[in-house]
Amino acid sequence: MNTYLLQLKRSPRAIAGLTILLIWIIAAIAGPSLLPYTYTGMDMDNQMVAPGQAGHLLGTDALGRDVFSRIIYGSRSILTIALLTSLLSSIAGIIIGFTAGYFGGIVDTIFLRIMDILMAIPPLVLAMVVLGILGNSTIAGLTIIVSIAFTPATARVARGALLTCKSTEYVDAARIRGESHIYIMFVEILPNTIGPVIVEITARFAYSIMMIASLGFLGVGLQPPTPDWGMMVIENKSLIRAAPWTVLYPSLAIASLVIAISLFSDFVSKVMINED
Amino acid sequence: MDFLKRFAKRLGFTLLTILAMSILIFFLVEIMPGDVAQTVLGQSATEESVAALRDRMGLDDPMHERYIRWAGGFIRGDLGESLYMRGVQINTIFWRKVGHSVVLALTALLFYVPLSILFGVFAGVKEGKAPDAIISFVGLATMALPEFVSGIILITVFAVGLEILPIASIIPIGENLWQNLDILVLPALSITFVMFGYVSRMQRSSMVSVMKADYIRAAILKGMPRKYVIFRHALKNALLPTITIIGMNMGWLFGGLIVVETLFGFPGLGSLTMSAIKTRDIPLIEACVLFITFIFVFSTFITDMLYAFLNPRIRYKRGDV
Amino acid sequence: MYTLERTQDPDIGHLKAQDFENLEKIATPDDHTVVITLKEAAPTFNFIFTDYNMAILSSDYDYASKGESAPMGTGPFKLEKLVPKESALLVKNSDYWAEGLPKADELRIYFVPDIDSSVSLLEAGEVDIVPQISPIIKKRLESMDGFKVVSPYQESRFIALADDREPFSDNRVRLAFKYSMDPEILAKACQGTLGETIFYNETPIVNALAQYKKIPFRGRDIDKAKELLAEAGYPDGLSVDFFYASDHPYGSDIAQTLKELAAPAGIELNLKGFPRDIYLSQHWMDGPMLLTGWGVRVDPSMLLMLAYHSEGPWNESHIDNPRIDELIEKIRGEVDPEVRQTYYDELQQIFHEEGTVINLQVPYLVGVSDAVTDYRQPLTMLPQLEYTTIK
Repeated sequence: MNTYLLQLKRSPRAIAGLTILLIWIIAAIAGPSLLPYTYTGMDMDNQMVAPGQAGHLLGTDALGRDVFSRIIYGSRSILTIALLTSLLSSIAGIIIGFTAGYFGGIVDTIFLRIMDILMAIPPLVLAMVVLGILGNSTIAGLTIIVSIAFTPATARVARGALLTCKSTEYVDAARIRGESHIYIMFVEILPNTIGPVIVEITARFAYSIMMIASLGFLGVGLQPPTPDWGMMVIENKSLIRAAPWTVLYPSLAIASLVIAISLFSDFVSKVMINED
Repeated sequence: MDFLKRFAKRLGFTLLTILAMSILIFFLVEIMPGDVAQTVLGQSATEESVAALRDRMGLDDPMHERYIRWAGGFIRGDLGESLYMRGVQINTIFWRKVGHSVVLALTALLFYVPLSILFGVFAGVKEGKAPDAIISFVGLATMALPEFVSGIILITVFAVGLEILPIASIIPIGENLWQNLDILVLPALSITFVMFGYVSRMQRSSMVSVMKADYIRAAILKGMPRKYVIFRHALKNALLPTITIIGMNMGWLFGGLIVVETLFGFPGLGSLTMSAIKTRDIPLIEACVLFITFIFVFSTFITDMLYAFLNPRIRYKRGDV
Repeated sequence: MYTLERTQDPDIGHLKAQDFENLEKIATPDDHTVVITLKEAAPTFNFIFTDYNMAILSSDYDYASKGESAPMGTGPFKLEKLVPKESALLVKNSDYWAEGLPKADELRIYFVPDIDSSVSLLEAGEVDIVPQISPIIKKRLESMDGFKVVSPYQESRFIALADDREPFSDNRVRLAFKYSMDPEILAKACQGTLGETIFYNETPIVNALAQYKKIPFRGRDIDKAKELLAEAGYPDGLSVDFFYASDHPYGSDIAQTLKELAAPAGIELNLKGFPRDIYLSQHWMDGPMLLTGWGVRVDPSMLLMLAYHSEGPWNESHIDNPRIDELIEKIRGEVDPEVRQTYYDELQQIFHEEGTVINLQVPYLVGVSDAVTDYRQPLTMLPQLEYTTIK
């Protein structure tokens, strides 16, 4: 652990990424209570004012709502969904992937083929069709659908990681000792595959943010007035010339979060995997 | 000989996947809430007319019968009849849009693949130096912008500033896509941004690991000119994983197509799918999703085969990988 | 004659079935005359034919299978080419019944899902007319040379408070909601000005019509609203599912504004927006609270019959008020316009006091290039493109 921290200190990129991420997390947790405006409050005397005017840090949109407040509130839903999605799909993926890799043979083949089949629909298409037909989404709905869409890929990575340690000495030793399969999988193997797994989790996190934003754009994001960043971009698209800040800042928010996670993910992958 | 065996095995499995997907898609769409006949006739329809339509459309038949009818039609090339646009055979509108999307996807590939490889390799070779930092940063920034964001940025730039490219992709009546190739540019560029970011970074890291390999360093130490080493040896090995990356990202490319076609109004499979979902045109949704899956699975298959063909270790060795 | 008979066919479920139940017999003494005999007096019967679903059909055409791909009617243009979801080409109908019309030789229609893209086509000179633009786009076009924005008529947005289920079955709750309204803010939410481009009233009759009676707005009173709610058994407020079409102009803005306005009174609106087709086929007519776009009818009794008679086919608010039913029926049969007006006045007063609808009038805007002359689109909502030409 200490070596990781040391290396972290030496990598300005990783620090930058982690910092941005922490800022957003703090904003999501504490932000809303510190803000002067709510995310639905309509200041009708100040519709579409530019940033800095009339007390609105990043301006207002067509309904007089404060852009800054909406972005801060929006960080909650996007972080929650992204976090839940990456955790859920990773856990499911690990369980499925480990089981397949560990037991090998027929089990492996079946699992592998099923995963391949599920991976046959591009995730965005799957989510869009399901949510589009249902008509709209809730936080729970979005989380579940996106997790399902991502699980097969995670399972493959987990399986691959397990295969690299399957025939090592400590695994053999555990087997001789008579430990149960579950014990071997999760106590012996998992800690040694933590590198690729974490990289996978962080990658999923970034993907789910993009996916959720895109689903919002396609009209199957969360219900208004929830300040979903993707929906903010699509809602305010017509205003891009009259009030560009309504589109610019949510876009920057999305970008900053994805960049932050990518930087951190790069670091983890460099440190935990390529150990030469 | 091995290669052919592998080819056949994979092909067989691909077809099996498509079959399984078709069942899954059919099932998924059918269990969605909402009565199809009711949707067609609208709220004010009487009970009798809804029942009559259900009967005419064969909606009350058991599911496996309906599936066989649908799948059978599909194999024969009959994609069924649209629900929303009554009397219109899906075939008449489908293939035109598919063609458009294929051209758009190929254009995007044409834009981003050479660019990503070029810059990725360059960054990898100059690891740690200024060009690397710049390219990596640009890659990171573009990767973080979803397609619709880069699309909106492009629209604004070209609508306000430059005005040389059309920002709405319509094809004038009577003409076809080939007479209006300029409508492809901005949508393809929007997809290119994201893909470039991703693939160039992968290419870069692949190049970096290859450059660090013993045989490369040995060659350089022996006194061979750097450029020669790079082009003759390093590049080949660095490119192989890239093929896999591009293949893996096809899924994202398709998702991007839907977003971009919707944004620009490009008359392709993506916007057709959106429109089908919005109007709950079940047969059209099924046709679109199945076809997207089909293309995706096939592109994965081709990528796998290409990789196997080019990778000498697989090509000439026995056994499973 | 075929058209009229078709309205009575139960298999088709024609919207106008009720209106034409009054038909006693139809006769066609010669090729160009139709004589319609009614069972009862109906002075405004003629106006029924102006509704958008009353196009004249041919009796020997297979509309069921060809209606969408190769339509057949009596209009000024013929469909020559159709690329579904992309474009359509219509050419002049040289056999059109009106002499000298249509003026244009060709109509090219492009189906573009995104309004901003459509407007950019207008700005680039690729198209000449873009209907249904938003007020923000209007501002932009008006500041540019070479374009103008026409506002042919006003549309209604009906906020329906369902009378057949909780909570709006209790008029006190309906009044409480009305007391939480602020028309000025609603107008601003629609990027307009109250009294100039946006109008608010609580009856289904728009202010442009002769039958309109101006009833002053009761004024926003949150305390009164809370009082009424407490009386009706909701001392701690209540929550209601509110359905609307999310991609219809003004829909989302109005819905969110209503939510904001009703909140201080303790009324929590759960917004449920759906794409228009899904909204209309799944949720409309079946929700405690709805927002729907309605076109105006030249003869208001047509709309009243459709939506506010207890047996009307489009009675979205499920209103069942015997006095209203009675008044509507009287209006239909009353020949003397002055007496009719007294019925309209009474009707509007009842709506104000116990009605189930809030009517927000919003402009229908069309962006037109200066090269277009004589673009007409009357209250019937169908553009009369036979008069339009390009300079």
